[in-house]
Amino acid sequence: MADHSAENNRLALKVVFYGPALSGKTTNLMQLHSLLNPQRKGELMVLETRDDRTLFFDMLPIGLKGDSGLDLRLKLYTVPGQVQHDSTRKAVLSRADAVVFVADSQTSQQDNNANAFGNLEENLEKVGLDIDTLPMAVQFNKRDLPGVVGDTELQQRWANTPWAPLQMASALNGKGVIETFRVLLDRLYTEVDREFALQSVHGIDRDTFIRQLSAASEESCA
Amino acid sequence: MRNFEDDPTLEDLLTRDQLQRLNRTLSALCQAPVEIGINRKPTSVALEFNLETVGWLSGGSSDQERLAAADLVSFLMMFVAKYRLAANLHHDTTEASYAELQKQNEALKASEARYRILSDQLQEKVEEQVAVIKQAQMDLYESARLRSVGQLAAGVAHEINNPIGFISSNLKVAGEYVNDLRAQLPQTEQNRELLDDFADLIGESSDGTRRIASIVSDLKTFSSIDQADYTQCDVNELLSSAVHLLQTEYGSDLEIIEKPVELPTISGHPSRLSQTFYNLLDNAAQAVRERRQEPGAESRAGRILVKTSVDNDVIQVVIQDNGCGIAENIREQVFDAFFTSRPVGAGTGLGLTVARDTVRAHRGTIQIDSREGTGTRVTLFLPVG
Repeated sequence: MADHSAENNRLALKVVFYGPALSGKTTNLMQLHSLLNPQRKGELMVLETRDDRTLFFDMLPIGLKGDSGLDLRLKLYTVPGQVQHDSTRKAVLSRADAVVFVADSQTSQQDNNANAFGNLEENLEKVGLDIDTLPMAVQFNKRDLPGVVGDTELQQRWANTPWAPLQMASALNGKGVIETFRVLLDRLYTEVDREFALQSVHGIDRDTFIRQLSAASEESCA
Repeated sequence: MRNFEDDPTLEDLLTRDQLQRLNRTLSALCQAPVEIGINRKPTSVALEFNLETVGWLSGGSSDQERLAAADLVSFLMMFVAKYRLAANLHHDTTEASYAELQKQNEALKASEARYRILSDQLQEKVEEQVAVIKQAQMDLYESARLRSVGQLAAGVAHEINNPIGFISSNLKVAGEYVNDLRAQLPQTEQNRELLDDFADLIGESSDGTRRIASIVSDLKTFSSIDQADYTQCDVNELLSSAVHLLQTEYGSDLEIIEKPVELPTISGHPSRLSQTFYNLLDNAAQAVRERRQEPGAESRAGRILVKTSVDNDVIQVVIQDNGCGIAENIREQVFDAFFTSRPVGAGTGLGLTVARDTVRAHRGTIQIDSREGTGTRVTLFLPVG
């Protein structure tokens, strides 16, 4: 649920990176932190345990200012992927505005992907959200590893879902991370513009929204 | 309720004591005192956390000092906030899990209660079924007994009726022959005596065959081999057959007084009614015999009174004896199946049970009045129609 405060002219949006354990959700966030150079970028907060597994969540805040002075914030969260942390996952997922599903491309992980996707659908329902209307991007990570399911096969499998085309990534190498994020921003903009009239009231068009929030470090920031 | 992810304020992150200590430490590091607060002052710099300005830092001797100090504070707040966020999330999650568990607990309690009720009902159902099975077993036992009595009677009737037929017709012809002989033989004293005796022998034998024929007929009525189902019954006739059978079994020592009045027929099961009457009469006969075996009672005559009457379309059958009576302590149990006061093997304990069930099947009631040492009166009430 977007948190809009007219008094402070502020709009806070929540994006959650979901997926099976060890699929690379935190890596996605870390890469975004180092690759992105949005208008405003906060500190990456990582809460992980000794063995580098996410216990609670990770969080990265980014933001931009509109012509109307709108202070737009995007908080990017990851959830713990391990099955036993379901209640934490549900708590982090509540009030989400968009979801990035990070799947593991390895052939051996297909069951885990399916379980995690089912769990996402279930938890969204429990927190009062609908997977069919929530803006979402699906990323298949770890494309660099041997023994992954082929691109064509994956794209075909997902062709008839609202989430096609899939994003292919190798988060560890920084590949496909920003692209996934931009696809999500594109889908998110549609929903947020409809509700809060980003363009007509605040002068933030689709292109500005995507460019300003996902400007890469090496690209020039307008 | 605040969510774990709501942006924290300066107060949320640092207590007043912690803030004062931070002010002191920073002041010691800088060349001029430093102060952190929530209000903006002319030279203050913003303290940011998560893109949010949570407070302002003023004082110090230069912008450089203020910026360095603010950066240090933001760095520290980062770790405080991490802990705070994790703790809040943990708290939220635990509360949610607890609520979930409580809900499950309630559901479990409800389901347990439901199963307890079901289990109680199960016990009742089992008891009901056991009663039904007991009843069925008893009916089966009784009907098997009746059937075997019926079959026996049918066999006896068939086998005896034919020889009795020709014996009695032969005896009649023999009687005529005796009369013929009387005309042809010389009239001597010896001949006359012989022929008179001969006629008496034949006459007594004829009486004997008539009695045998009558017993066979009673047996047929008693077992009702011709009537398998409900039919119109004459209670007096059924009662009388049962009395004759009993008399045959116990001999002439037993005095049975019948006082029937004219009765309407009732719709009933003749063999079951006969069986019932016989059972009651048999009980009475045994009670009388037991009484006679008591010391000092030899001279007392045993007597059974069988009486019928009709009142308000209800037939009453009274079977009364002056036997030993029923002891008070067992009076409650006499109708219980398999309860008997007779020696092992002498009684099935089903006589009165069957009697009661039969009377109930005819929409009637049975009543027992007894006094130990004086006698017993059993009254059956059978509605007409």
